[in-house]
Amino acid sequence: MNYPYWQLGFPGGMLIALVAVLHVFVSHFAVGGGFFLVATEARARRTNDLALLEYCKRHTTFFALLTLVFGAVSGVGIWFTIGLVSPEATSTLIHAFVWLWAIEWVFFFVEIAAAIIYAKTWDTLSARDHQIIGWIYFVAAWMSLFVINGILTFMLTPGKWLEGHSLMDGFFNPTYWPSLLARSAAAVVLAGLFAFITLPKEGARNEVARMAAKWMVAGAVVMPVALWWYAAKLPLFAHLSLGMGVTSVTHALRGGVGFSLLALVLALVCGAWKPEWMRPPVVVVLVLCGIGMVGAGEYLREYLRKPWAVNTLVYANDVRAGEVAAITENGVLKTAKFLPHADATSPAYGRDLFVLQCGACHGAEGYRSMTRRVDGWDAAFAADILQHIHVLRGTMPPFAGDEQDRKALGKYLAGLNPEWHLTITAANKLEMGKKVFDSRCGHCHTVNGSFRPLRGTFENATAAQVAEVFPALGAMSSNMPEFNAPAEQAEALSFYIAHEANLPLTVKPGPTEMPTGTNHSRMRSPARPGESATTQSGAKRNSLTQEVR
Amino acid sequence: MQTMVPHVDPLPLPGPVWLFTVLLLVVFTLHVAMMNSALGGGLWALWNYLRGRHAEHEYSRRLAQELAAMLPTFLAFTVTLGVAALLFVQVLYGNFLYTSSILLASTWLMVIPLVMVAYYGYYYFSSKSVEGKGTAGCVLAISVCVLLTIAFIFVNNMTLMLRPERWLEIYRGGPNGWNLNLGEPTLAPRYLHIVNGAVALFSAILAQIGMSRMKKDPGYGRWLVQRSALVFAACTGLQFLLGMWLLLATPREIAMTLLRDPLAGGVFGLALVSVIAALLLILLGSLVEKPTKLVSAGFGVSLVTLLLMVCLRYLLRMAYLKPYADLGGLQVEAQWGVIVLFVVLFVGGLGTVGYMIGLVLKAGKKAALAK
Repeated sequence: MNYPYWQLGFPGGMLIALVAVLHVFVSHFAVGGGFFLVATEARARRTNDLALLEYCKRHTTFFALLTLVFGAVSGVGIWFTIGLVSPEATSTLIHAFVWLWAIEWVFFFVEIAAAIIYAKTWDTLSARDHQIIGWIYFVAAWMSLFVINGILTFMLTPGKWLEGHSLMDGFFNPTYWPSLLARSAAAVVLAGLFAFITLPKEGARNEVARMAAKWMVAGAVVMPVALWWYAAKLPLFAHLSLGMGVTSVTHALRGGVGFSLLALVLALVCGAWKPEWMRPPVVVVLVLCGIGMVGAGEYLREYLRKPWAVNTLVYANDVRAGEVAAITENGVLKTAKFLPHADATSPAYGRDLFVLQCGACHGAEGYRSMTRRVDGWDAAFAADILQHIHVLRGTMPPFAGDEQDRKALGKYLAGLNPEWHLTITAANKLEMGKKVFDSRCGHCHTVNGSFRPLRGTFENATAAQVAEVFPALGAMSSNMPEFNAPAEQAEALSFYIAHEANLPLTVKPGPTEMPTGTNHSRMRSPARPGESATTQSGAKRNSLTQEVR
Repeated sequence: MQTMVPHVDPLPLPGPVWLFTVLLLVVFTLHVAMMNSALGGGLWALWNYLRGRHAEHEYSRRLAQELAAMLPTFLAFTVTLGVAALLFVQVLYGNFLYTSSILLASTWLMVIPLVMVAYYGYYYFSSKSVEGKGTAGCVLAISVCVLLTIAFIFVNNMTLMLRPERWLEIYRGGPNGWNLNLGEPTLAPRYLHIVNGAVALFSAILAQIGMSRMKKDPGYGRWLVQRSALVFAACTGLQFLLGMWLLLATPREIAMTLLRDPLAGGVFGLALVSVIAALLLILLGSLVEKPTKLVSAGFGVSLVTLLLMVCLRYLLRMAYLKPYADLGGLQVEAQWGVIVLFVVLFVGGLGTVGYMIGLVLKAGKKAALAK
């Protein structure tokens, strides 16, 4: 709320993701590739393998051009981008860890100097001295990863830092070591993968291809262990995100595994087994798989951190957690410094609020489109639900603003779609009921699914009994919006819920909210007066989040 | 009146202000020296590459090739040292820099792909300069133009961060970030001052490089020293005029800092003295049959001038931001343990780089002896 919001036309988070994925892809190669180069050089010199040595020289040129230019400059690009999209989060990290960043810069400085010297002195330095430069490069590059890993993992798991702001607690936080292992393994995989790009047509071709495949396999063997360890150290709220069945998370998980397996198969078949098959199209597929692996990993890392940019300090929309109460009390108009339209009655004000508070992750259209998400909402419902937005699935920050702000944003959101005029007949009642459910209830509930299922509440209930509950929803819990849909929609909705809740269960319900330790019976128990199933699960999620903090 | 300046970070400053200031000034001076080499060196290389395509200009051809080998490294360290400067300036003035950067966001972010283009262009030129073809010259020209554009974008941002009173107007005029700070009266003189200064400083560096070539090839060394001394003198003369323009364009109350504030006035006076000294030393040392060590002294003094100008720039920034920033009032909780670790590693890092350079020099000497 302190900074202007850059209206770049699509969610700023996507820009960070784009820059970050490409940078991570190359920067991890910069670490692993350095190791690969110096190890391969050592082997070539030890065995007096001139063809292999020639490959090393060639690979060094490619390595230097890619990592020194694209790798280093895209790293600065991340600095630029996070400062533009999330200045509060960036400032927080800078203030907490500036000295670690300064240390990382020292390693970066040594790394750049060593890379330049290593690339330029193949023919001038003695074998011993040249390899010393290579090892200095690798150690500096890996140390750079060692340091930056502490800051990156802090964002998700600040651990004991929250208690006393101890730098070491923040740095060696719960996910530090597994993340370091995973990143180091990724660096080894990418070292092998990139080695295929400069594969010579003859000479050391077969030797390099087999070696590259071995590197990929070596990294890939460690990776599942590292990821399992990492997952075990995740905070519970991140586990909840994983267990919610969110489509994009599922896609990222499947994609990550798929890309990794495909890359491994290609490396083994076209690298280790039949090096003559490692032709440019295969290499292109390998590179795309590499970007896919890194993209999936980075996506998951970002998603698991939601609703936070920096856990417990700054939300993903760059609002500081400590400022939410004051903004809610005083309103955005009085607290935000940069509003394009400082008139709450202006229709553009609602859009300004949308951009300011939602724009980091959502656009009106496109990726994470709000138009799709608010289909069927009217202004009153939208304004009401904004109060509860942080309990929807627990991945959203709270809305920071007063009633006037909620109404303005609600009006804007409701205006994204034409108003519904549903014609409900006996034939389409079930279909219409599902439509209403998806619009009004589906953001927080399923009927028979894994996330906050309503079955336990409505099993054996008739449609009329379900409908009886609707008027009391708002009073049941502070986390439930008022139900104010037109009567025919309420009828269709109750019909749908009763129908679904009484279907024989064909699929065993999945974990209700978290993969481990969830009290299923409690989650499935009928709501007690004043405490709906939503309240229970919402409260549980919140309490878990608190517990993690 | 509500200030447009975002509040400072609620977390305390992790080190004393003076330490961040010293580090910022040191790394920024080194960054500017490298930037001047990358930009000034690019302009020098371009001119001499084009000139050297005529058979009679052997020295120009040779200089262009020498510079071709250096330019990517200059740019590499411009970026590397720029990262450190960006880091430390964020700690002290983050709330100003983030805001001005967001106001120019789309333009500002262009710096990243532009640096890559310039960088790859320098590498291309470096690998093709020997062939003397027009393509390499074109690519070099593109790289230099791109660097000039980057410098322009930087000047826009660095001037806008000093002007909170203009922020809201610019934001409302273009929240998509495709903005520049063209309404800033100091923009043009400051930009020209920086670009011309880059050529001037790199000319002083070249004069020193020429001195180091005197032993091996006195003809080439003398040519290089004398030519760069002349360019240095011309650019320094122009720099005085641009400096005056910049001073006149600066708001009166800020410019008056140079008279009222003893520190700023002292630094300004010293900078004037040192630049005149550098000019005299380089001219006196070069305009003789055999250039003397005065040139090297002039080179050293011009580096001192650079440091003084960087300090002056910082003091003027403080004057601009005085109504908005109170660095003295910031809460400080110095992380001394990690500060010491940083200093140790920094010294160790410099030592490591020194060791690697030592290995290269030793190998060079061995090769020379073998020949």
